[in-house]
Amino acid sequence: MNWLRASAGRLLLTLSMVFCAAILGWIMWDYYMEAPWTRDGSVAADVVQVSADVSGLVTDVRVHDNQFVHSGDILFLVDQERYAAQLAQADAAIANARAAIANAQATLDNARRQKRRYLSLGDLVSQEVRDQHVTTVEQAAAALQQAQANLGQAQANREIAAINLRRSAVRAQVNGYVTGFSLRPGDYVGAGSARFALLDTDSYYVVGYFEENKLHRFRLGDKVRVNLLGDRRPLWGHVQSLAAGITDRQQNQSGVLLPNITPTFNWVRLAQRVPVRVAIDRIPPGLRLVAGRTATVTILPGTPDAGPRRTVASAPAPTATAADHLHDETPR
Amino acid sequence: MTPVIEIYGVVIPTLGVLALAALALYALLRRLLLRTGFYRHIWHRPLFDLALYVSILGVVVLLLVEHPL
Repeated sequence: MNWLRASAGRLLLTLSMVFCAAILGWIMWDYYMEAPWTRDGSVAADVVQVSADVSGLVTDVRVHDNQFVHSGDILFLVDQERYAAQLAQADAAIANARAAIANAQATLDNARRQKRRYLSLGDLVSQEVRDQHVTTVEQAAAALQQAQANLGQAQANREIAAINLRRSAVRAQVNGYVTGFSLRPGDYVGAGSARFALLDTDSYYVVGYFEENKLHRFRLGDKVRVNLLGDRRPLWGHVQSLAAGITDRQQNQSGVLLPNITPTFNWVRLAQRVPVRVAIDRIPPGLRLVAGRTATVTILPGTPDAGPRRTVASAPAPTATAADHLHDETPR
Repeated sequence: MTPVIEIYGVVIPTLGVLALAALALYALLRRLLLRTGFYRHIWHRPLFDLALYVSILGVVVLLLVEHPL
């Protein structure tokens, strides 16, 4: 009997320890395996690829690498002499066209006077001569119209030359940092070929690649903590949106446009990642964001950030309702 | 607690570090229990040891999870 009591005590002690471990283990599992956080995230920003709209030699460079510029600031100049000369050329063409109009007008007036004179002579001159003068007037009128059209064309050309001259001073279209810049005076830039990046500082956001099995754990507008790699100070934000689709990796392109599905039967399958866009609300003072930095993104479900929850969610109606449905089963 | 810990350019999950810390704590505690003869009151020692380790890890995680490390 005594032995039995001792044995029961030992059993009870062991099992209570196991029970304790089971509860703690379950909590840890919930935190590490189920909670919506990912180490696979990064800071991102929109980038303007700066190119010149006109081609030519770079004559003046006004910025340097990593410089902050405001929208409208001049970045560099492309061969302004040439485009100024083209504008002067267009101005001269306008003057030319105006003179041509005056000339045509004079010709027309003269032809009309002659026509009137000859017609008043009546039968003293042949019908042929009178017809000739009618024709001359018509031709002169047509020549005047042509001269006027030429003036219109010359004015349009001048407008184009003015635009080219304006665009030969390449300006920043957004506030941001000049990045990857190595342009020097004397370089030749082709129209439309991007020469460096202008990183839009008004567009910073964080993107977290969340495993697909965690998507039902959060909603649009939930508060988000972002830890940058190697920085103790967290950023705060909220879930702005999530991607509506990712590529189906099982399907390959086939030459005849028929589906070509890779036959697989994997015991171990990895959850795919879905990009979740996080709008940044609060940045610790002194922290400079660098697009591309590694970030750990932790979503705190059920803690809507005061403002934009509804507005963001209801912005594009069909996707928002679909996403809301998707997330409505959230147990937390 | 930051979710990752960086050691000389190598980034590892904090859980890994905590698991090692828990292992050290566990080794210490087990030595203590051995010395005091506590194991005489245990029915299945390996099972108890496993539970002990998991519990230590759980407590460490719970203590640090909501606090900056």
